[in-house]
Parts: sequence; C-alpha cells; structure tokens
Amino acid sequence: MTTPQTMPARLARGLHALWTLLAYVMLLAPIAVLILASFDDGSFFRFPPQRLSLRWFEAATASREYRSALGISSLVALLAAAIAVVAGSLAAYVLVRHRPRGARIIEAVLLAPLVLPLIVWAIALMQIYSALSLTGTLTGLVLAHTVITLPYAVRIMHATFERIDPALEAAAVSLGARPFDVARRVVIPLALPGLLTSVAFSLLVSFNDVIVSALIAGGRWMTFPVRLYSQLRGQGVDPTTLAIGAGIIAIILVAAVIGELTMKWSRQV
Amino acid sequence: MPPSILLLLPALALSAVVFLAPFLWLASTSFRTQAEGSLLLADGLSLDNYIRLFADPFFVEVLLRTLAYSVVTTAVSLVVALPVARFIVVRAGRFKGILLALMLVPLVSGALLPSLGMLHLMGPLGVVNGASRLMGLPTVKLLGTPAGILIGLVQSFLPLMVLPLVNTLARLPNDLEQAAASLGAPAAAVWRRVILPLAMPGVVAGSVLVFCATFTSFVTPQILGQGHIATFGTVAYQQAGQVLDWPFASALAMVALAMIGLLQAAITVGSRFARRREARQ
Repeated sequence: MTTPQTMPARLARGLHALWTLLAYVMLLAPIAVLILASFDDGSFFRFPPQRLSLRWFEAATASREYRSALGISSLVALLAAAIAVVAGSLAAYVLVRHRPRGARIIEAVLLAPLVLPLIVWAIALMQIYSALSLTGTLTGLVLAHTVITLPYAVRIMHATFERIDPALEAAAVSLGARPFDVARRVVIPLALPGLLTSVAFSLLVSFNDVIVSALIAGGRWMTFPVRLYSQLRGQGVDPTTLAIGAGIIAIILVAAVIGELTMKWSRQV
Repeated sequence: MPPSILLLLPALALSAVVFLAPFLWLASTSFRTQAEGSLLLADGLSLDNYIRLFADPFFVEVLLRTLAYSVVTTAVSLVVALPVARFIVVRAGRFKGILLALMLVPLVSGALLPSLGMLHLMGPLGVVNGASRLMGLPTVKLLGTPAGILIGLVQSFLPLMVLPLVNTLARLPNDLEQAAASLGAPAAAVWRRVILPLAMPGVVAGSVLVFCATFTSFVTPQILGQGHIATFGTVAYQQAGQVLDWPFASALAMVALAMIGLLQAAITVGSRFARRREARQ
C-alpha cells in the first residue's frame, strides 16, 4: 500500500480489524469452549477447569450406547450421501447439457429443500411416515436424509458441470468413445472436485441433522444428534458427549479448511 | 421421451414426492381435528385449529416473540457481518481462505454442537461467569433469558449473512474507499452512498436466510432458553412430538409458512422498489 495514511485512516483500519476479530471470537467461542470442556476432568464443567484429562474421551470410546448412535449416524449419512450425489449428479448433468423444457421449474423443485423451512416439512413427514409405518425405520430415515442433502448435490454439481467444456465430451465421442467411457474417462475425472465437495456436504448435513430426525428416528435407529438433543432437554450434559462433540468439531474444522483451500467451499453455500 | 430425461427422474421423484407432497398433506390435515385423547382424525374439515391458535394469547405471543427474535437476529447479524465481509474481501489477503473456512464451521456443524458449547460458555459455572468471578465482577444470568437465546442465534446464523455478502462485495473494486476519500468523501458516506447500495443483493439474500433460519430454529431456543422461553420451533416440536396433536401442529406450521412467505415477498418487492427509485435518482 503506497498511499500515505493519515491517523484517522489508520485508526479506522485498526477498528475494522478489531471488529472482525471480535466477530470471529463470538463465532468460534462456543466451539472453543466445547473443546476445552471436553478435556475437563470433572463430572460437570466449571471455569476455570480444575484438572484436565482424557477421561471423557476414554469413556466415549468405551460406551456402547454412543458407539451405536455414531454408527447409525454414519450409516445413514453414507447411504443418504451416496443416493443424493448419484441422483443429484445425473439430474444436474441433464439440466446443464440438455437443458430440457421446463428446466427452471425442475431446478426449483430440486432446490426446494433449501428454500422451504425444514421444520414445517418435518411435521408433515412425521404424519405421513406414521400412516405408512415408516416411523423409526432405516428406510424412512435414509429417505428423509437423502432429500435434505439432495439440493446441495444438485447445486454443487450444476456449477461443476457448467465449468466443464462440452467440447471435451464431444471430442471423446468423435474419437469413438461409448457414453459409458465418456462418463468414466472424461466427465467423472473432470468433475471430481465437485463430486468430493458434494459428498462432503451431504455427509455433514446428514450427520448433523436433528430437525427431521428428532421427529422420525424412533428408538431403534436413534442417531447421535437425536440422542444428544433428548439428553440436553432431559437430564443435562453427560461429559462423554462433550468429548464426542469435540471430536466431531475437530473433523469438521479439518474438512472445512481442506475444502475451502482446495475446492472453495464457501462459494457453494 | 428422450433417454436423458430418465436420468432426471430419480432426483425429481425424491424431491417432488418426499419433499413437496408432504406440504399438501400438511395443508389438508391442518383443517382436520382429532378428538381429545385420540390420534384418529375426525371426519370433515374445519377451521377449528386456526381459530384456537389465534384465540389463544399464548400462541399469538409465541408467534410475535419468534418474529421479534428473527428481526433482532437479522438486524444484529447484518450490522456485525457487513464490516466482516468487507474485511474478508478487501483486507484479509492470504488469510482469506482460512477466514472463509472458519465461517463455514458453524454452518456445517448444525445447531446442536455450538449450543452444547454455549451452555458451558453462558452457564452459571461457565466461562463468562467463571471469569467474572475470578475478576471480582458480578455474574450475569444468560441461560434461560432472551439475551442468551439471541446471542446463540446470532452465533449460529451469522455465516448465512456473511457468505452472501462476501460473494456480492467481491464484485466491487477494492479501492472504493481510497478513491472516494481522495475526492473528499468521508468513509461513512462511501458506505452509505456506494458500498451499501451495491451490496444490496447480498444484504437481501443474507437477511432472508437469517430470518428464515431464526424463525424456524428450535434447538437453540430450546437448549439456551432452558425450556423457559417458547418460540415457534419449540412449541411446534412440543405439539408434534409430545402432545401429539398433529392437526394443531400442522396449523401452527402452516401459519409459520405463511408468515415466512409473506416476509420474503415483502423483502423482494421492497428491494425491487428501492432499486427502481435508486435508478430514477
């Protein structure tokens, strides 16, 4: 910066930086506190912590109840993400490359879960599931999670395919590649960053969902967030969940940094 | 039918059948009733649920309170987010990627884990009050108060305001302030006359996102309100998940949907009107 800076200008720049710093402190404080509290040795956290230990991390790995909840969450997230990314990619590809009639309406339908409030939908879905006996089933849970992750996959893959030059596919076809080979050797490798971003977003959205799951999960397929939510409403905090929460947050932090630096995730939201 | 359309069908069917169709179901059950202590719907349509909702001061108060929280959260988020977004775009330099990544964290971690952290931040033995006690300052009660809920809501939904703003501000030239300052305009005037009008699409997008997210949130008000403060989200979950009065929960959800829809329409029309007036000047 070569322009001469007056005192008020420098003060303004300092205040601007301070404002931003404070906003980030507020944004990240609960996450930092969650991580700090998970290392506190006591049965309930008090500040300043008396003694730090890994006690609750050991309890977390030993607990069958939480292991099963985390396993269910992971299973549901993997199934939902797989279906959403495949279905979403196919739809996005057709929308970008073939631009069928009514494409705008189709896009609106596919992106509706990002626009309409999920809580309203969840109240409706719960009633329909009850009528169809889908409440508390794995099928019902995966179906619901697929639907809430699908729009992320559609949107991310739509932007991804728009950036891929159709001439590359045309060239492969003119050289005699069959459609399957074009997909496998040309489109999928070029779309890989978008595919990875869609998978990551779908996994995270599904894994952390409590809005829909709280009303349809039931006892047998209770995901970790539902278990945590009902515990927080009821008997208060079990420090074991702090350790698990800190672990999940650590994974999210790493994923967000990698995703932003390599694939510009913040532009996909 | 061209074969490419077939590839659209799985996604379209999922969204239309599993997501959109339930809204129609909701609209229809909101006009049904169920007898006391029974889960079976009575025959015939009626406005009973809506009449009960608007005749009961409790529910009216809940909706107004939720509306007030949403307006306050949106306004506070906007004031906090504007300088932050501008900083990320213009000043952050090589820290831009890290700042954006950190902004994503609350967004993808859901409402639950940050609320768990907030409990330990704001609780009677938490970080804020523990630090106050160490320094001999009076403690503050945040959990179970509107202030506590509002802090949690702003924390959760600030990224929904910052990210659209970053995307619109990134399209403005970086040296706006300097250019204006060299012509003698104070920074405040640059913001009011140049940056804000150009950032309007981001302001509108962010405000709609934060408003809707706040209006329909239930984890943050439930956990940080400690069950003492009822909002649309907490009451809707109570009616649907515990009271099991589904027709009434449906009516409540329909009213919330209408309120959100009206607000979005108002914001869209309002911003279009403002832009037209701007263009005429």
